[in-house]
This record gives sequence, structure tokens and C-alpha cells, in this order.
Amino acid sequence: MGWEEEVQEIHRRRKLAKQQGGEEGIAKQHAQGRLTVRERIDALLDPDTFEEQGKATAIPDYDGDDKFLGFVPANYVVGFGKIEGRRVVVGGEDFTLKGGSPNAAGLRKSVYAEHLAVQYKAPLVRMLEGGGGSVKGGGRRGGTVGDPVFSAPRFRIIADAMGHVPIVSIACGAVAGFPAGRLVAAHFSVMSRRTAQILIGGPALVERALGVSMTKDELGGAQVHARSGVVDNLAEDEHDAFVQARRFLGYLPSSVDQRAPRTATDDSPERMEEELLHAVPRNARTGFDMRAIVRMVMDIDSFFEIGATYGRSQITGLARLDGQPVGILANDCMVYAGAMTAEAAQKYRRFVEMCDTFHLPIVNFVDQPGFMIGPEAERKGTIRYGMAAVCAAVQAKVPWASIQVHKGFGVATAAHYGQDAYVLSWPSVETGALPVEGGVAVAFHREIAAADDPEARRRELEEQLRAGRSPFPRAESFAVHELIDPRETRPALCRWIDWIQPLLDDLTGPTSFPVRP
Amino acid sequence: MARVEVESEVTGKVWKVEVGVGDRVAEGDVLVILESMKMEIPVESPHAGTVAELRVAADEPVQEDQVVAVIAT
Repeated sequence: MGWEEEVQEIHRRRKLAKQQGGEEGIAKQHAQGRLTVRERIDALLDPDTFEEQGKATAIPDYDGDDKFLGFVPANYVVGFGKIEGRRVVVGGEDFTLKGGSPNAAGLRKSVYAEHLAVQYKAPLVRMLEGGGGSVKGGGRRGGTVGDPVFSAPRFRIIADAMGHVPIVSIACGAVAGFPAGRLVAAHFSVMSRRTAQILIGGPALVERALGVSMTKDELGGAQVHARSGVVDNLAEDEHDAFVQARRFLGYLPSSVDQRAPRTATDDSPERMEEELLHAVPRNARTGFDMRAIVRMVMDIDSFFEIGATYGRSQITGLARLDGQPVGILANDCMVYAGAMTAEAAQKYRRFVEMCDTFHLPIVNFVDQPGFMIGPEAERKGTIRYGMAAVCAAVQAKVPWASIQVHKGFGVATAAHYGQDAYVLSWPSVETGALPVEGGVAVAFHREIAAADDPEARRRELEEQLRAGRSPFPRAESFAVHELIDPRETRPALCRWIDWIQPLLDDLTGPTSFPVRP
Repeated sequence: MARVEVESEVTGKVWKVEVGVGDRVAEGDVLVILESMKMEIPVESPHAGTVAELRVAADEPVQEDQVVAVIAT
């Protein structure tokens, strides 16, 4: 006789582990408009590519007389799968069991997700829903209390993973406590607009501690986190979130040890958009649509914006140029003239560090009037976050191209040029220490005050200085690589993409700094 | 009929009010032009409808997310 009996038992246990919270638990999850973790995994991955790890994990359940009652499945599901044919690791809490709060076997598998991704050099997609630890079940049965003193810190692998593989976090439901911390330890995070909340502490904790009664939506719903920067993007529903996760990963290498995948494109590198000639108005007070400029220059339909609702004066996103994935930085002059606010600076630093970690070349469309000024900006510590952004840029090792589209004033402008940047300038460029308007008022205040008509004198001085800011002298003296017709931007950048290919080969491997949330 | 509050995306000052209460507006019509960081920032109607309320006047300061107008759709 062979092992037929045990094999049968293996299959029975695998089947049991897939039952999740049973029909009732699953129906409840569906009634609230949310998918189960196994449905989520199937919706994210290429069809039939899930390779589960720990297929029979469960907790055996006993009654008071130690009589075996059955199994409670582990409430964390993890494994490999494929996205566009490339291997990823995917994991998520099973909210139909214990509200996603980890049971013993679930916790082990949850901790394993990051290890698996780092070990096999595959991106990690986390599907988060749950409230983390619970006081229930702690210390009831006696025995050892707490982890041994020599155990590795639980967060160590979460921190380390960010420097090795791309990590995407998706908030699929209420994500509170530890899972919320895990959510932000990612390179891209997205929440489903109506069915997800992200909270450090939920309504009961808040009411107890602060006497404030609020719903979980008011505390940590989409309208809060669109502006808080806790998530990068909002999604219409879970399926939209999965689409965004797949799209994000398409621009990134599987790990820092590989190059980002360059794809074939039908979009000609020589394409020149006529509209670029008129994109920047001659009147400097009138704004323009920077995103439209980015879209015209990049491969058609390749621009994927990240974090549009946070630090809105700064645009960040991913795109392709002649098939090469690149990081995009651009200023939005419709929000504080594109000034670097405290939020924009933090978004900027994180984005540059992500590009540096995964060796994505950066293309920067510069229209920088400087750091945001004013009482609120001072209170928010803008200069500290701003300098952090400058430091991230000047120490970045990735190839960097900057297109001087319009303004470039003050210290904040230093954040827009990496080392050895390739610099192209449009005729609409205006650069200097301070913009003419404010700068004249400061530098010539005595002369203006002493004039018969101070207002006229101020205007006269401004005109003189403005005339001296013609784009031609900087091109003549090789302070920029080329002064170009804006329509030539795409062909020029596509040539640069070709030049930097050998540099990208040399950059693979971990960076000397760790990327942090 | 729904009332849609139109908010300012930036802190700044009202430069011009382009419509009056009772005016018909189309989606994308400019209601108010703000001045912020020396730029002219148009506040556009998110929907077609009628201007039901104007909550700001020229030269008044506005804060980020402040309601500047209400459109009845």
C-alpha cells in the first residue's frame, strides 16, 4: 500500500483552506461591494497564473475537551503570478475571516510576502484590507509572551524590500493600524474611491482618545487621502485599482538588478507636434496646460500620472520615449505658478528616489518660479522639504534631461537638474535668481522710492532686466546644450534616449541610499 | 435640480468676476479669475447651469478649497 490516504488528506485540506470565511462570510463581503482576496488575485493577474504558497495553511480548531472541530483557513493568501507575462508576488488579507486580523498561520504568510519578493526578485503587489493586530487571543493560553529578544524586527524586511523590488499597495477596504503602515511602504499606492479607507486608528479609538465622533470615511476616506499624500492615486473601484497596478509595473524592472523593459513602439521618434510652437503663451501671467505638452512629446498614450491630487504644483509620472520607460517631472503653473510647496517637494523627493532606485532616466519639463512663499509656506517648513528635493536630484545617478519650458528661478530650480543633465531650452525660457517683478522691487527699492514717479521707474527697470533675459546669450555661451524649436523636443529626447543606453547597462544593482516611505 | 459648489484650487486674490447671479453658463465657462503667485487662474464651471450664488467679489482674498460660486444645474 502506498500513501493514498495521506494524499487524499492533502487534497481535502487544500480544499478546506480555500473556503475562506465560508458562504456567509463571502456573501457579507460581496454585499458591501467588495471582492474576496481570491477574486482580487484572479482579477489582478494574467488568467490562470496564480501559484499559491502554503496551499493547506490553516488553524486547527478544538473544543474545550481538545476534540478536533475542523480547520480555520489562514487568512492571508500569498503566491506568485504573472502580469503581462512577467512574474510578480501577490498577497492579501482574507477579510471574510476575523476581519483580516491575522490568525497565526495567516500572520506567517503575511510576513513571508516581502521575503518571497526579495528572494525571487519579483515585484510585490499587496492587496490590503484589515485592521492589523487584535487584543483578542493575546496572553490567554499562557506560555511565552512577546517575541524573543533576538528576533529580527518585523519591519526590517518591509524597509529592505523597497530598495530591491517594485512594491504596489492597493487599499481594497478599510486598512487600519499595521496594514496602513505597510500600505505606504510602497512605490505606488492606490485606493478604491468608495470602498476603501485608510486609518492609523479607527473611529472607536479616535472617540476614546480624543472625544471626536467621526465615521471611518470622514477620518480616512478618499477625499482625505487624495490631499494627504498617503495614497498616490484614487481608483473608481477595485478593478480600476488593479488596472493601475498593472500599468505602473509595466514601466518598471522586476528588481533593481534588471533594466526597465523597453518596448517596441509605432510612434516615430521624429514626430513633431505643431501645437508645441504655441503651447506657452507670450503673456507670462497666463497659464498653460503642461500635461498636454508632456503628452505631445512622449510616446502616444504612454503618460501615466502618479499623485495628481497631492502637491499639485508638481507633476510626477511615468511614460515612454521611443519605448524606453522614463520618469516624468513637470511643473503645473496653474497651481501656485508651479511653485515648490512642502507637499510638492516631498512628492518630488520620493519620486526621484524611486526613479534612482529602479534606474529610470528622468525627463523634467521645467517651469519653476521657486519655493512657495508666504506665511503658510513658512509654517509648513517648506525650505527643509525643498532642500531634501534638491539633494535627491543632485545626488541622483540616473541619466537626466531637462527641458527649460518657461520659468527657472531661485534655489528650487536646482532640484530640476541631475548631475550631467542634458539641457534643452525653449525660446520661452526665463531664468535667474528671482523673477523680474519681485527681484526689481527688492534690489532697487531705494532707487524706486527716490524717483519722481516710483511706479514708472519700477516698470522701466523691469523692462530693462527682462530684455536682458533673452534666451540667446545662454545658448551662445553653452550654458544650455541646445536652444530648440519646441517642436524638436521629441526628436531631440529620443536621440538622447539612444545615447544613454550604455549608461543604463552600468546602473543596475542596489543604490547606495535606501528608498523610504 | 442640483446645486454644485465651485471651489478655488489655490490661495490667492479675486482679480475679476466674469459672471453675474442668474447668468447661464456652459461647462468650462470662466466664472471668476483669481490672481495667485502672479498668475491669472481661471475658475471654470464644472457643469452647465445657472449661476445661483457668487460668494466672492473683486480684490477679496480666497483660500484653497473655498467655495467661490454655486451653480444650479
